[in-house]
Amino acid sequence: MMLGIDVGGTHTDAIIIDGGEITASAKKVTRKQDLVGSIVDAVIGLGIDVARVKRVVLSTTLATNSIVENTLAPVGMVVSAGPGIDPREYFLNEDFYLVKGAIDHRGREYQGLSDREVVDAGRKLKARSIEGIGIVSKFSVRNPMHENRMHYLLANEFKYISMGHQMSGSLNFPRRIYTAYFNTAVMPLQHGFLKSVGDAFRDMGINADILILKADGGTITHDAAFRLPVETILSGPAASIMGAIALTGERRTALVLDIGGTTTDIGVLVKGVPLMQPQGVDMAGKKTLVRGLDLLSLGLAGDSTVVVEDGKIRIGPGRKGPPACLGGTSPTPTDALSVMGLFDKGERRRAEEAFESIAQVLDKGVEEVARQVIKKFCQELRSAVTEFIDVLNSRPVYTIHDMIYPELISPETVIVVGGPAGSFCSLMEDTFGLECKVPQYHEVANAIGACLARTTARITLVADTHLGKLICPELDIEKDIPGDYSPDDVKVFGMERLDELYRYLGMEDRPDIDVVEEQSFNMVRGFRTVGKNIRLRMQTRPGVLSLSRA
Amino acid sequence: MKALNRTGLIFFPAYDWEISPTHPERQERLLYTQDQIMEEGLLDIEGIHEFKAGFATEHDIQRVHFCVPDVASRITTSHNISAGGCIEAARHVLEGDVDKAFALVRPPGHHSMRVVHGARGFCNINIEAIMVEWIRRNYPRIKKIAIVDTDCHHGDGSQDIFWHDPRVLYISLHQDGRTLYPGSGFPREFGGPNAFGMTVNVPLPPRTSDRGFLFVIENLVLPILKEFKPDLVVNSAGQDNHYSDPITDMAFTARGYARLNEMLSPDICVLEGGYSIEAALPYVNTGIILALAGLDYSYLREPGLDTESIKEGQKILDYIARLTDNILEKWYNKEKLRSEYYEGEAYVKRDKSIYYDTDGISESQTEEVRVCDKCPGVFKIDSQASTGYRILGIHIPWGACQECREKGLEWFNEAKGPYYGVYLQDMDADRYRVRLL
Repeated sequence: MMLGIDVGGTHTDAIIIDGGEITASAKKVTRKQDLVGSIVDAVIGLGIDVARVKRVVLSTTLATNSIVENTLAPVGMVVSAGPGIDPREYFLNEDFYLVKGAIDHRGREYQGLSDREVVDAGRKLKARSIEGIGIVSKFSVRNPMHENRMHYLLANEFKYISMGHQMSGSLNFPRRIYTAYFNTAVMPLQHGFLKSVGDAFRDMGINADILILKADGGTITHDAAFRLPVETILSGPAASIMGAIALTGERRTALVLDIGGTTTDIGVLVKGVPLMQPQGVDMAGKKTLVRGLDLLSLGLAGDSTVVVEDGKIRIGPGRKGPPACLGGTSPTPTDALSVMGLFDKGERRRAEEAFESIAQVLDKGVEEVARQVIKKFCQELRSAVTEFIDVLNSRPVYTIHDMIYPELISPETVIVVGGPAGSFCSLMEDTFGLECKVPQYHEVANAIGACLARTTARITLVADTHLGKLICPELDIEKDIPGDYSPDDVKVFGMERLDELYRYLGMEDRPDIDVVEEQSFNMVRGFRTVGKNIRLRMQTRPGVLSLSRA
Repeated sequence: MKALNRTGLIFFPAYDWEISPTHPERQERLLYTQDQIMEEGLLDIEGIHEFKAGFATEHDIQRVHFCVPDVASRITTSHNISAGGCIEAARHVLEGDVDKAFALVRPPGHHSMRVVHGARGFCNINIEAIMVEWIRRNYPRIKKIAIVDTDCHHGDGSQDIFWHDPRVLYISLHQDGRTLYPGSGFPREFGGPNAFGMTVNVPLPPRTSDRGFLFVIENLVLPILKEFKPDLVVNSAGQDNHYSDPITDMAFTARGYARLNEMLSPDICVLEGGYSIEAALPYVNTGIILALAGLDYSYLREPGLDTESIKEGQKILDYIARLTDNILEKWYNKEKLRSEYYEGEAYVKRDKSIYYDTDGISESQTEEVRVCDKCPGVFKIDSQASTGYRILGIHIPWGACQECREKGLEWFNEAKGPYYGVYLQDMDADRYRVRLL
């Protein structure tokens, strides 16, 4: 028996999957001041024997909210950079310290770290009673020696510490700074929350491991979430997309529309695999290295407010409350569906009343207005999606092969989930000219996605046979390699490490491992080949446990 | 951080193309540059946009080159994309998507001349020239273009292509041809009779460093540009003047390159040479991008740079000051000098021997231009190469007068003799014709 929980801004959804069937679901209002209580309510609402639960996956917006509401703990940052863009450009406040030390693009140190400056920065942060720090150096993913040294010098002084190279193996110094910053910033909150949830579950008699959903639609263990809480921020949209995959088993290239009250999130599956942001997601306006699904989020949804501006209908992007037919005050696309007879909940009469003033202004009948609202809704959705796909398809490529044989995304089908999904199905079919399906249980797709999401892990390997070094920053591996180390050797080494990691992260079966990037360059100095520079990125394929095996 | 100038970047490292495995023009060339650009987070800066490269068409190439025997046999796809990358950079600038753009592409092009029998100086086709002619075809409002070539080698290909063109000013700063390939680029090379002064060569002494280069920009290049008033400025941004470059002998720095671009403020930069792939390119390219975008680059410097030890001596600076004076004086007197040299001439001929070092081909050319005061003047090139091909190429320029046009067509239609074929570029009609004999 598996339990999936999605704590959303409005509702907390819980679902039970047992023997390949969805056997129970519950939806409760989220109490923002008592998230643990909301979770407990939802679980109780399932009415099940909780002792049988073997796996729990939790998706939560807790950290997201505290970032948005800026209720984060203060964080000190100690940064070494060396020449380039002035690193102080990225400093957010006086708790950011720049220390001497520089490493180049191949991971060679060319300016030693100043221990004295590091210790000094630590002392000043301590004096301000700061408990958490981030440690970042430029090119630390090519050589973490300065970050490791800073950690050694400061570890005893601070309760919460994040090191840049452990956040991600990608190059991008400013993003590394912000990723480490947010990771430390949400640690106290996330630690407290996870501990309370664990306690509450034990009190209820649930003894299963708790997994946490990440923004990339994969899960990590409770322990890993302690170390990398930043990965679990923004998991909400991922939950729904993973739910859509679980409910349809789609293996083709597809658009997934999660039509909610306030926003519609649009994700893309390429041959059944969700598409990720190339670098990382944005948090509170800062770019990070946190992997997340590449989503288009539009303020064009079921509860978006409909108004008339300069004689034209405008939908959203705001929401003033529920649709008029469900007790709200302003007309919404859901009300337009109600008027047209495509939405049968609530009171159609109230929907019609809500459109009357617009009908008067436009000198048209209420039904005609409703028709126009829906037409406009579909047009705007289509043009935003078309533009989104165009942008995805015009991403630069770096080899002649990829220029000649581009892998263009061309959706073959549409999956719609979310509250009002059922009413939108035939409209979406017409809008995109594609087959469209609304799976059963789509209104709790988020909790199902959380419940069935698989563990994901991704590692980066850079081998430089000229320097005789292999590095895997995410796993803190540095290894001496012989001069004849080959791309295949790197791949085998990476496979073994990823397999170990995967087992450590709590997955029982063997993962599908994809090599997502692979490059090998002969290094030539003075007309002589002196070595190979090999770069590999591999990951466990994001996906869901099949319902039948669950 | 926000770019003052919206800046586009076309990055095409051609990770699957090389001249040969150990050649300077190999897969690895832009690898560390990409690492540096990614690590600095340059593409995340508000106002800096990365665009995808494109393909130059055969027709785009034919506007510039007489490829012998034809385009397909002289290039590979990588050349198409390299030239196409420049075209995309220009497109985004001229469409107003960005204010400036940098085509960080390979392979390079500035040693390719109008007639192409093979590859020379690692170049098969001239990517800037193809971009320039594409711009003039698609954006007629761009009438005058200046190319400032800051590659360490004289851009003899670009000079050759625009030699007769009064609307393309070609200025090259390079290591003195007496000390470096291709051995040309002296002040006496000053443009053809209809474009006299529209080619300006500044051969700099070995070991020239930041002060020398920036002196020439300030005291020669900027004054000439001010008078020429170009609608568009292109920088052929070769990076082999760097003190660490393995095949040249100059002492320019990354911050110097950045300052040069800040002063010049080109609309489009195109990467040319530069083979210090670890110690120079990552930093020079970062500097150029920052300078184009109008961002601070004062914190940028190469690891281990010792500015004092590479500083040029006073003798070099004095030499450069005299050189600059002489060239500038000549430039201000170009009308007078032109009439002294060419008064009363109807046609002017020049003979050239060209060596294709990359492919080991020799070519001999006779070029004849009609001296014209109404238009840039029609010209023809009789070219014979050691490959056995001999061709006649005829170029009817943009805005050709009636007489020049008729003369060009007459040459094309009446040519007989030992040619493999006769080729015609008719710029206004945007037509390329080949008559095989």
